Amino acid sequence: MEARGVPAVVLGTDAFLSLARAQAAKKGMPHLPVSLVAHPIGGVDPATVRRRADAIVDEVLAGLTRDPAPPARPTASVGAALVEAPDDLDALQTWAMDARWSDGLPVLPPTPARVNRVLGARAAHRHEVIATLAPLDGAATLEAMAINAALAGAGPEHLPVIVAAVRAIADPRFNLNAVQTTTHPCTPLLIVNGPIAGRLGISGGPNALGNGHRANAVIGRAVRLVMQNVGGARPGLEDRATLGHPGKFSYCLAENDAVSPWPPLHVERGFPAASSTVTACGAEAPHNVNDHGSTTPEGLLLAVAGTAATTGSNNIYLAGEPLVILGPEHAQTLASTGWTKAEVKRRLWEMVRIRLDRFSAENLARFATIDPARFANQPADAEVHWCLAPEDLVVIVAGGPGKHSSVVPTFGATRSMTVPIEE
Amino acid sequence: MRVLSPLGVTPDTLKPLAPRPASLNGLRLGVLDNSKPNADVLLLRVAELLAARAEGVTIRTWTKPGSSRPATMIDEIASSVDVLLTASAD
Repeated sequence: MEARGVPAVVLGTDAFLSLARAQAAKKGMPHLPVSLVAHPIGGVDPATVRRRADAIVDEVLAGLTRDPAPPARPTASVGAALVEAPDDLDALQTWAMDARWSDGLPVLPPTPARVNRVLGARAAHRHEVIATLAPLDGAATLEAMAINAALAGAGPEHLPVIVAAVRAIADPRFNLNAVQTTTHPCTPLLIVNGPIAGRLGISGGPNALGNGHRANAVIGRAVRLVMQNVGGARPGLEDRATLGHPGKFSYCLAENDAVSPWPPLHVERGFPAASSTVTACGAEAPHNVNDHGSTTPEGLLLAVAGTAATTGSNNIYLAGEPLVILGPEHAQTLASTGWTKAEVKRRLWEMVRIRLDRFSAENLARFATIDPARFANQPADAEVHWCLAPEDLVVIVAGGPGKHSSVVPTFGATRSMTVPIEE
Repeated sequence: MRVLSPLGVTPDTLKPLAPRPASLNGLRLGVLDNSKPNADVLLLRVAELLAARAEGVTIRTWTKPGSSRPATMIDEIASSVDVLLTASAD
């Protein structure tokens, strides 16, 4: 009726308010006026029903004659559903997989008590919508994030990082819809900077991208579960990844600020050194750079550039911001003659080039339609760079002792987003 | 045990409501009874009280054939009334 221009008020009983509201919300009108009388009216003396009518007539008149303001957040009043799950923790795993809540690893039950513990003081704002997540435009409320954090085994101390990471991936420049639904193997790599990393034990040291660090594991995992469950990207359904990669369970590390010869990523991006941030990159798995021999910056960059210059990378034709994670010893070698991080990026960008005759004719034809400036009507010995400009390279320092670094190609059509962590 | 669902709430697009008249004077008030017990009593009483607070209000009622089915007379109602009262559930 409203859609046809006829103002309407719905009468109902208080016991069925949630149903009336859900129906109105489903039709895109959560602000449709609903006037309630005490439940029940069925099986009640008609005189009693008329008395209840008398009590609401002012409200009904207002509903018909005063424009109701649309709610600022249409889903803010809609909380998570409470459902019955098996008590047995092993049975819960099968049940959670059937419900498509799980990533395959064991989940912990998101009971209201556990979720409230994760929310802590934020429980008062549990329905606040922090972001809307593609592909299904799911509302990432604080509550929804806390529920997924509880599933992942995260604690209240991890929630601020999870919330900031969700803000980062929801930025339109991150292109979450594509990252979530592409066939390409990408997922947000979360890079934490600032003092919170030390406080929470988010590792940027030995095996930082591997196992053995609870904070890294549960933060990355919680964000992944939010993407799957709130964003609505179920593997094999909306998430169309051909193979995916292991980082889709969890992909989170800290930058090793203490041993880096250069300002850390968040300072490079304009945040105070004392602040904490999380940066999300839509990233492939890490590709290792083994160089135990080089003692000069130029020599070491040859190994990094050789690892980066691969023909199967999205970055080659979609550009974007490929990432280099330098092990601390490699970083020291690169800085040993005074190179700044900007200098490292400039030199590396110069070196990462691929001759067009290394691509098939069909691929070149395809790339030419996507990026004609770089690929159309070029001679066979022309070279393309890894990305459009040196500044597009993201360089961080992480890891423990050893002579390894990592090249991390990205989805390409995504920008890395840095968001401050609010505790 | 009872657990909270981690699945997101997917919002529908927010649609505007119909513009409201300043008063009910001279308007056609429709009543759509959802055929739940006593809904007619409640709706008609509210309609009569609304009519008593304005001048020249006419009331016309329709009854849905069953509460769980969509109303089939939507087009007729939309073209016959200026404002509508209806009921949801019990």
